[in-house]
Amino acid sequence: MTAKSSSSPTARGVVREIGRYTVVRLVVYYLLAGGLLLLLSAMFPEHRPSGPGPGAPMPSTMGGMLDWFRGEVALFPNGAPRWIDALFQMVGAVVLVIPLAFSYVRTRTRVKYDHSLVQTVIELPVVVTAILVVVRDSLALAFSLAGIVAAVRFRNNLKESGDAVYIFGAIGIGFASGIHALSVAAVLSIVFVVVELSLWKFNFSADFERTFARLCLPSGADMAWVPEPVETPPEKSATSAPDGKTTRLRVYVDRADAARPLIEAVLARDAKRWSFEAEEPPANGNATVLAYQVRPRKSVGLDGLRSNLLREGAPHVVAADDAPGL
Amino acid sequence: MTAALPLATPSLDPPVAPRDHAAGPAGARVTLVEYADFECPSCGAAHGVIQAAQRALGDNLRLVFRHFPLRDSHPHALDAARAAEAAGEQGQFWPMHDRLFERQHALEADDLARYARKLDLDLVRWNRVMALSATEDRVLADLASGRRSGVRGTPTLFINGARYDGLVERGPLIDALARVALATREPGPGRQS
Repeated sequence: MTAKSSSSPTARGVVREIGRYTVVRLVVYYLLAGGLLLLLSAMFPEHRPSGPGPGAPMPSTMGGMLDWFRGEVALFPNGAPRWIDALFQMVGAVVLVIPLAFSYVRTRTRVKYDHSLVQTVIELPVVVTAILVVVRDSLALAFSLAGIVAAVRFRNNLKESGDAVYIFGAIGIGFASGIHALSVAAVLSIVFVVVELSLWKFNFSADFERTFARLCLPSGADMAWVPEPVETPPEKSATSAPDGKTTRLRVYVDRADAARPLIEAVLARDAKRWSFEAEEPPANGNATVLAYQVRPRKSVGLDGLRSNLLREGAPHVVAADDAPGL
Repeated sequence: MTAALPLATPSLDPPVAPRDHAAGPAGARVTLVEYADFECPSCGAAHGVIQAAQRALGDNLRLVFRHFPLRDSHPHALDAARAAEAAGEQGQFWPMHDRLFERQHALEADDLARYARKLDLDLVRWNRVMALSATEDRVLADLASGRRSGVRGTPTLFINGARYDGLVERGPLIDALARVALATREPGPGRQS
C-alpha cells in the first residue's frame, strides 16, 4: 500500500522553487544595502571620527584608509546630532527588515498572506529603534517604558503561528539598530531570510513519518517501513448536489438489463426523487456501474436505501457507493 | 478478471481463520484483510475509507483486522493493539478499534484506560488481559503473519487473499472490491480467503 500511495502526486505535494529572480534580487539588495549603510555610517558617525580629519594625506594601510575615508566623508566632525543619529539607525532598521517582508511574501500562499503583517514587520523595527534610542542607558526610562507597555493591551490573532517569528525578527533588528549594532542587525536579517527560505523550499518536517525516520531511525533503515500519507477524498461535497440532499449513487451490477428494474423498483419506493444518470460499461472487468441522482426519503435515509438496494437487487447488485467514480 | 485489478497473487499466510477479528458475514463474497497500526496516520485515513467500503458493499464484504504495529516509529502502537485485544476478550474489539483510530493522537496508557471505561468494559479484567504475555503474543503473531504475507508498510490490504496494490482511497478500493465480488459468483458459507 505504501508503494502505490507514494506514486500519488497529492501524497508527494508540489515542488517548491524559490526562484532565480528572488535569489538574485535578494543578493543585489543586500549588496546595495550594505554599501549604503557603510556610507551612511561614515557620513553620520555617532562619535567624533578617529581618523586624521579632512585634508590629511591618504595612509597606506587598509585600516588607516578606512579611518581616512571616514574622516573625509564625515559631515559632522564632532559626531552627528542625536536626531540625525536616530534617523540613521531607523533607516538602517528599515533597510535591513525589508528582506524579511520579501521572504514573507515569497513563502505565503494567497490564503495565508496577511498584508497588515507585512506592514507591521516593516514598521516595527523603527518603533523599537526609537524606543532604544530614547531609553539608552537610563534604568529609570526603562522602568517607565515597562510601565507604559504594561498599561497598553491589545490582542490580535495571527493567521499562522510562523508569522510570530517575523514579528520577533523585526523586533530583533530594531533592537540591534537601536544600540548601534547595525552589523548584528544585518547578520540577523541575512540568516533569518536564508533559514526561512530554506525551510519553506524543503517544506521541512511537513511529513511526520519521513522526518521521524530521517531523524530518529538508524541511518540506512528501510524507508519502506515508513508509511506514506493517504489522501482521503472529501466525501459530502463531492457527492452531494448543491441542495445537500441529493446524492450521486454508483451501483455496481453484473448485468444492467437485469439489475435496472430491481434497482428502480427500490428507488421508486424509497426515494423522494431519483433520476438515472449514466451507465458506465465494463472497462477491464465484469462490473457495470449505474449512476443515479437520488434523494432518499427521510424515513429511509441513505443507509437504509443502500441496504435495500443490496438486499433486493441481489445477486445482480453488489455495491452501492455514494462517492464519485474514478 | 483479476488481471485488470491491482491485485498481487494470493499470498495471505495464514488464511482467515476463526481466531481472526472479523466483521461481516462469514459467507460474504469478499473478505478484506487489513494489516494496520493504530498509531499510523495512513491507517487512520484508511479507516474512513474502509468504513465507506463496508457501507457500500453491506453483507457482501467481511472485514478482518490484523495487527501490524510499527514499534520503531510508533511507540504507542503495541499498547494500543494490546488494548484492542483486551477489549476483544470482552466482545468489544470493533468499538475499541474504531475509537483508537478516531483518537490516534491520544494513545497513552491513561487514554487507553479512559476508552475502556467509555466502552463500559470490566476494567480489572481488561487490565489483567492487557498485561498477559499471551495478549502480546497474539499481536506479534499477527505481525509475523504480515511479514510472511509480504506486508512492508501499513496499511496493507488483502482482497480474498491477494494483496491489493491500488490506492487506499474510496473510489479505487470500492471499485476493486465490487469487481472481485462480481467475479465471486456464488458466496459460499464460511468461505475462507
